[in-house]
Amino acid sequence: MATLDPALAPDTPAGDLHLLERTWSAPRGLGGWFMHVNHRRIGRRYIATGLALFLLAGLEALAIRTQLAVPENDFLGPEAYRQVFTMHGATMMFLFAVPIMEGIGIYLVPLMIGARDMALPRLNAFGYWMYLIGAVTLYAAFFLGVAPNSGWFNYPPLSRREHELTIGIDVWWVVVSMLEVAALVGAVGLIVTIFKMRAPGMSLNRMPIFVWSILVMAFMIVFAMPTLMTTSIFLGLDRMVGAHYFDPAGMGDPLLWQHIFWYFGHPEVYIMFVPGLGMVSMVVATMSRRPVYGYTAVVLSLIATGILSFGLWVHHMYATGLPRLGTSLFTAASMLVTLPTSVQFFCWTATFWGGRPRFTTALHFVLGFLVIFLIGGITGVQLGSVPFDLQVHDTFFVVAHFHYVLLGGVVFPLFAGIYYWWPKVTGRLLSERLGKLNFWLMFLGVHLAFWPQHHLGFMGMPRRVYTYLAEMGWGTLNLLSTVGAFTVAAGVGVFLVNAAVSLRRGAPAGDDPWAAESLEWSTSSPPPPYNFRLVPTVRSRTPLWDPDRAEQPVVVGLRDDQREALSTTLLDARPDHRVVLPGPTIIPFVAALAAATPFVGVLFGLHWVPIGAALTFLAFTAWNWPHHLGTRLEPEGGPEHRLAAAERAREEAEKARGEEVRR
Amino acid sequence: MSARMVLDVSEYPSLVQGPRGGLWWGMAGLVLVEVVLFTTLIATYYYLKFLNPHWPPAGEPLPKLLLPTVNTAILVGSSFAIYYADTSISERGDKRGMTVGLVLSLLLGLTFLVLKGVEYAQVEYFWDSHAYGSIVWTMIVFHSSHVLSVVLKTVVVLALAAKGHWTRERCQGIKVNGLYWHFVVVIWIPLYLTIYWTPRIHG
Repeated sequence: MATLDPALAPDTPAGDLHLLERTWSAPRGLGGWFMHVNHRRIGRRYIATGLALFLLAGLEALAIRTQLAVPENDFLGPEAYRQVFTMHGATMMFLFAVPIMEGIGIYLVPLMIGARDMALPRLNAFGYWMYLIGAVTLYAAFFLGVAPNSGWFNYPPLSRREHELTIGIDVWWVVVSMLEVAALVGAVGLIVTIFKMRAPGMSLNRMPIFVWSILVMAFMIVFAMPTLMTTSIFLGLDRMVGAHYFDPAGMGDPLLWQHIFWYFGHPEVYIMFVPGLGMVSMVVATMSRRPVYGYTAVVLSLIATGILSFGLWVHHMYATGLPRLGTSLFTAASMLVTLPTSVQFFCWTATFWGGRPRFTTALHFVLGFLVIFLIGGITGVQLGSVPFDLQVHDTFFVVAHFHYVLLGGVVFPLFAGIYYWWPKVTGRLLSERLGKLNFWLMFLGVHLAFWPQHHLGFMGMPRRVYTYLAEMGWGTLNLLSTVGAFTVAAGVGVFLVNAAVSLRRGAPAGDDPWAAESLEWSTSSPPPPYNFRLVPTVRSRTPLWDPDRAEQPVVVGLRDDQREALSTTLLDARPDHRVVLPGPTIIPFVAALAAATPFVGVLFGLHWVPIGAALTFLAFTAWNWPHHLGTRLEPEGGPEHRLAAAERAREEAEKARGEEVRR
Repeated sequence: MSARMVLDVSEYPSLVQGPRGGLWWGMAGLVLVEVVLFTTLIATYYYLKFLNPHWPPAGEPLPKLLLPTVNTAILVGSSFAIYYADTSISERGDKRGMTVGLVLSLLLGLTFLVLKGVEYAQVEYFWDSHAYGSIVWTMIVFHSSHVLSVVLKTVVVLALAAKGHWTRERCQGIKVNGLYWHFVVVIWIPLYLTIYWTPRIHG
């Protein structure tokens, strides 16, 4: 297989390169904008959309904090407050955190595993469009004044029709179902890409830790999100056709919602957090100039976190009167889940210990994550025990806890990742000076905003109230918290300035500004449309740090005139076959419009469900009709048929020989 | 310029079958997602069952057994037909056998749907009667819509067969369609046991 080819020098004729460039380049113009399927385009869209929604959720947070800054404030009325605080939660959980993590995975994973694109590019584009349609639907409802208003968790009986007639609740379950479709589609695309598209030699135990974290995240999405979709549809059936799932008078039970919701909701937290852990491991290794200490332990910890997170959901329900024995088991599980994260903390510490850390902005955010997440983890252990939880249940202590966990465990690693990979995506460096200002504002702001809320919780301030009386004595701490929230916002503002300046006149980054170890840094910044001119092979966990990197084999023989990629075997990444990937097409956009019709349509009438289903069937038939594969259909007996037949003949001959030998 | 080892992949095939190809794994992912969906339905059924002292609720008869059992056998039979279609083309290149298998599986799938319709036209409770009705109707409608969708999918596969698209080398679409068909059949077994046997074994 591997042969010595002296003819292949780095300066292969440029004609091929032009053809390759043309084959992989994105379509132009407004029409072309709807036809992109390339993973970097789709990934960038996910990230940009996610960041825009992050800013909107941040504005909603500022509105909430402004309302709570002083007692008996009337900045937001009760109904407006309900809508804004529901939108803040729903945006952060469904529209920001999960999609942006998937988006970063979609952008980076093919580059990290040495692939030219995702395994299922059109499916990937379809997922993005579903996400966008969901986000637009939710915010359209918000600006029309009919946003969901019963919290991001949307508990019945409050969300059942007899208590809440507004269409906002229906918007909630419809949009959530669409976003689940988007997240699931993205997750399946990532799993297949990681399984089948790795560069030759990148066996599972050589994958970068970030790729592992994305794989764990994708499997968690697959096992968690369908349950939320199911229960959302139960709620829709209750509200629209008079089903009785959550109706005690009709043999149903509101607690059924909480069980299914938190069976999804607790893993959801880890779905957002696990990719963050992966990013931290990458940044720690590069900035310490050595591989992460304990690769196997770190990877097993990621997997353990993913599995254990499915056994914790009842710790959101301690106050619902479940049997004691049950809650005790869930207390034990909640304590247990701290172990894998602790293992990773120790591995990172050991990495710093043996390395020579460079204190870049990315590493600042990692260190900030360690501190903030540690505090959130400690209050998490406290809340995991039933007696403590019953004391502070539904108070601001819980709000403080999960903001420490989510800002520490999701937003800080995300910013570390943004500062780390920005040069690869844009080709330009961010300012380190502004970056550190950004970090310190956010770091101090988080403590100022959320530390006082622990005390407010102890003082008995309940969650989800839109105001409070001056006599309660909660005014000072609330004001401090509001100041902290605006400090965080200032930090995010500095980031926006930094980003804008970098895009306009940032210093060129070069291929590998950090002297990093993984494959994405071996191609240009930003990467060319085909990612790698010569697909690399891999023989270690840190390929770019191999001393003989320049002599390692490269893959040749992929055609330049169509989008060809190499597929490898699942475990060992042995080269297996060539894949012809589809080029730009409008089909995913059309299919997403069709698939969104039953969801959005049901808000206007049940008859839209069969209509939408029929449209979806037509769209997917067009999708799978062979002419849309972007290549001419080969007649039977053509060259591709001959290659496949020759391979089969070879295999059968080998099998026959083996049987003869055995006899 | 130094010489460099290369891995020439130009002679590697591009037409592959089954789990070697990414499409198969994409469908396996969809199947996994759907398994979780159906598991949630089954878990909800048992949650509601153990919550209520009478299941089915007082006044509702036990579900009848004969028609759904015959119907289950018909659905299982369709899986064999689709397996026959698959092996005909992928192992023997037999296009006629493939067409026969596809048509037979379509007929069996449609028979299942008609008999389900007949069965539930006789039932006297609805989804808005009580939570028992809600979950049973959801399960039936949800699963039947899966059978309908896989039947429609197979119509498309059959249309492509008529155009001569499928060959011994190019039959991944048949394989992947078969994977989904087997899933829709296999997932019916726990649903069948849940809906028709659970109330009899544990009232």
